[in-house]
Amino acid sequence: MIVWRHSNRKPVPQNPVDQEIAFHIAELTENLIAEGLSPGEAHRRAVLEFGGHEQVKQQVREVHISAFVDGLLFNLKAAGRFLRRSPLFSIVVILTLAVGIGANSAVFSAIDGIVLRPLPYPNSNHLVAIYQQDYKSRDANHFVAPVRLEDWNRMNSTFQAISGYYFDDLSETSGSLPEKVTECLVAPRFFEVMGVSPALGREFAPNEEHWGGPRAVLISYRYWQRRFHGDSLALGEKVHVGGFTSTIVGVMPESFQFPNAGVDMWTTSSPDAPFAQRRDATWFTVIGRMKPGVTPHEATADLLTVQTQLGKQFLKPDAELTVQTQALKDVIVGDSRGSLWLLYGSVSLLLLIACSNIAALLLARTTEREHEISIRFSLGATRIGIIGQLLTEVFALALLGSLAGLLLAGTAARGFHLLEKTLPRAEEISLNWQIVAYTLAAAVLTTLLCGLFPALRGTRRTLAQSLAAGSRTQISARGRVQWVLVFMQITLAVTLLIGAGLLLRSFRQLSRVYPGFDPSHVLTFQISGSWGETSDMPKVTQRIDRSLDAIRAMPGVERVATSAMLPGVPALYQIEFKIDGKVDPGHPILADSRYVSAGYFETTRIPILVGEPCRQASKTSDVLVNRAFAEKYMSDASPIGHQLSGATYNDFLPSGMIRGITGNAREEGLNTQPVPTVYSCFSAPTPFPNYLVRAQGDPMAMAETIRRRIHEIDPSRSVYSFAPLQDHLDDASSENRLRTMLLAIFAATAVSLACIGLYGTLSYLGRLRQREVGVRLALGAMRNQIVARFVLQGLRVAVIGCAAGLGLGLWLSRFISSMLYGVSALDPATYGGVICLILLVAACASLMPALRAARVEPVEVLREE
Amino acid sequence: MAPIEKADLLQGTLDLLILKIVALGPVHGYGISQRIRQISDEVLQVQQGSLYPALHRLEKRGWLEADWGESDNGRQAKFYRLSAKGRKQLAAEEDTWNRLSRAVELILATAR
Repeated sequence: MIVWRHSNRKPVPQNPVDQEIAFHIAELTENLIAEGLSPGEAHRRAVLEFGGHEQVKQQVREVHISAFVDGLLFNLKAAGRFLRRSPLFSIVVILTLAVGIGANSAVFSAIDGIVLRPLPYPNSNHLVAIYQQDYKSRDANHFVAPVRLEDWNRMNSTFQAISGYYFDDLSETSGSLPEKVTECLVAPRFFEVMGVSPALGREFAPNEEHWGGPRAVLISYRYWQRRFHGDSLALGEKVHVGGFTSTIVGVMPESFQFPNAGVDMWTTSSPDAPFAQRRDATWFTVIGRMKPGVTPHEATADLLTVQTQLGKQFLKPDAELTVQTQALKDVIVGDSRGSLWLLYGSVSLLLLIACSNIAALLLARTTEREHEISIRFSLGATRIGIIGQLLTEVFALALLGSLAGLLLAGTAARGFHLLEKTLPRAEEISLNWQIVAYTLAAAVLTTLLCGLFPALRGTRRTLAQSLAAGSRTQISARGRVQWVLVFMQITLAVTLLIGAGLLLRSFRQLSRVYPGFDPSHVLTFQISGSWGETSDMPKVTQRIDRSLDAIRAMPGVERVATSAMLPGVPALYQIEFKIDGKVDPGHPILADSRYVSAGYFETTRIPILVGEPCRQASKTSDVLVNRAFAEKYMSDASPIGHQLSGATYNDFLPSGMIRGITGNAREEGLNTQPVPTVYSCFSAPTPFPNYLVRAQGDPMAMAETIRRRIHEIDPSRSVYSFAPLQDHLDDASSENRLRTMLLAIFAATAVSLACIGLYGTLSYLGRLRQREVGVRLALGAMRNQIVARFVLQGLRVAVIGCAAGLGLGLWLSRFISSMLYGVSALDPATYGGVICLILLVAACASLMPALRAARVEPVEVLREE
Repeated sequence: MAPIEKADLLQGTLDLLILKIVALGPVHGYGISQRIRQISDEVLQVQQGSLYPALHRLEKRGWLEADWGESDNGRQAKFYRLSAKGRKQLAAEEDTWNRLSRAVELILATAR
């Protein structure tokens, strides 16, 4: 007799089945020993008698798993049968979900790649950009002198290292034609800050970082592939760049594209060079790697302390400077964040609409399956079981839909790579397992959103009720749920449409604006040069003037000029000015400073209102101001003849006399009102300024002849970046255009989905109420009364939906107000237009099912009864 | 009499036998197999490959409850008890079995 002694305190062993089996064998062995066998033999026999240990274990395990798997498999099989039986319904749902989930996953993949994922450098959250800023003038010049960079690096206590970089666009002259290369000149410790080592070769040696040391370059992966076809023999090869010969000491990994993907090679900029000792030099964009555990706030405070010390030591200019930091990721991602979240919000609304649409379809279907469901109940199925079955059907659809959506998202992810100019980090967007997981999660969520309510509702009534109830009593109740879904769809569609409408209106406003200059027929390009040349400025000016002369003499060229920045491409270089050497401390004279050569105003067709434009070969330094400047700062007297000079320490612009006043032009970006601007007449503000050519015909047709002409006069330089000015302007607004276009597409999809929902619901109700309509007609109702009833029912929901959508739109519009130009976020025309459009579309969507419902023949319906 | 192997046992009979044995008092798997053998005079021998899956299945259905305890030999063993639900099930199955066997007997007796 077995005595069972209960013991609560004993913990359940690790693997209960194993232990259970072990116990059995032990007992059996003991029994056999009692029968007279030797312990060894008894154990052997016991194991033998028990049979396959693993097999038993497996079978026990199957008991536990199979219940779940059986259920799932059964449900899936049933779901498969169900879907095959109604292919049209399945295809509609799968396609709707494919678009809904696919668009959602695509936008999420962009958000993941651009906003969520860290930059592709080790511990990249420790990386910050560091700016210097003038205390008083809010000077836009953030570039830092090499000596100050070294001071910061030496005196701080919160950074592992601080470094910096700037660019030269140069020619590489080993080949038959000079090739333009972009060289990134880096301060010492650059790769230490980034935390990246060369894929091949080595970093710079200490002597290569000193003035007069051997010249070395690290080349980018792209350049390595383009020039050396990925051959490791490239190490040790020479490149002839900007008149110097350097040795290739390493190749950077493919993923390293800092500061941008266009960099071909990195070389050193020596802090001990004799020309690098001025404290007012403006060279480096500074980056730093904070020590682990240091917050950006602490790092900034530390640098401010350092700068205060420097200010005591070097009264001018360091005492006037303050320091700011910004996470490097924020610098790179910039404004795209807002656009991306806006798009994400929109596609999520779209998915919600799709879900409610499908939920309405499913509701209608569960009604049709009432009979099947009550049979299941009567056969003893539990409510949970039936809900599980119904949900499995939806899940199968959602799964298929999300797989199709994943294909869509994959295509979109590749498409994003083409938007390199529009989106930062575009090449980092990829379809990884996180996106796949996200998509599957979306499928599960969609299943619950679409399926749970119809399933709960469809199985709510008990068997008895279901058998007893006639369909007439339930119509109104079930209809109400359908109408709530239609209402939701219209609300969300109105919201999306308002957003899209505002963006579209803003975009149209923007394209209607006359920018104040004429970008048509203007070709832009650059000619390579090096900042090193600026040690002999007269020579640079001479070179650029010579090329301007040569181009001007070419047939087909109307006008030619150079400028530091292209008109209309967003850039603002705001500095503080002094008029006639006087500074009014309370009212700083802030203006955008632009450098343009003679011929600029003629080329861009910016009118000269008073005075004269920049002259070639002027012995004096001339400046012009725009009307905004004249009106804001010099309204009481004519500005002509006054002296204008930079108020801050670091402006290499000598003072100049105001020679003329120009018209206002949107030089700082087409979406910004013209700001006070000072034009300094100077053809060589950088060694590689933008050339602007006004051509008589198609500007791009000039490109090849210009390239050849420049090669004739200066064979060592390359000519690059040929593009019509209009292209630059389009690029500058491409994010805006993309955002507007996508939102418009989403809104259009949302409206069509809402229409389908309205149409479907009315058709469904029309079918259900055939009998009622038949009776009404038999009792003498007019057909047009019936039509009116149905249309009004549809319109009533549309009106309520519009009201709610209007409210939601008003509330949400604040999020896009910063993206709008020339349109208020509360623009009544947009809101009114959206309402009219929705009501019109809703009336159309209601009319057809209403007409069909009224076409009932009373005799036939009543006979069915 | 030759022992009857599992394959010859009527489907569902094993569940009935297990429920019946467990109804006598908490008992572990080994005990169940021994008792079935002893009580049936060695006619019925349950394969462990059927016994343990059956025990777990019955436990999953809520007819059996199980606890870990100490056997006579002081080892840890999993003891099975009949639940209230299991008691009802046992009654139902016994009833079915009795009716079935009476019917079979009746047919055999009449045909003789």
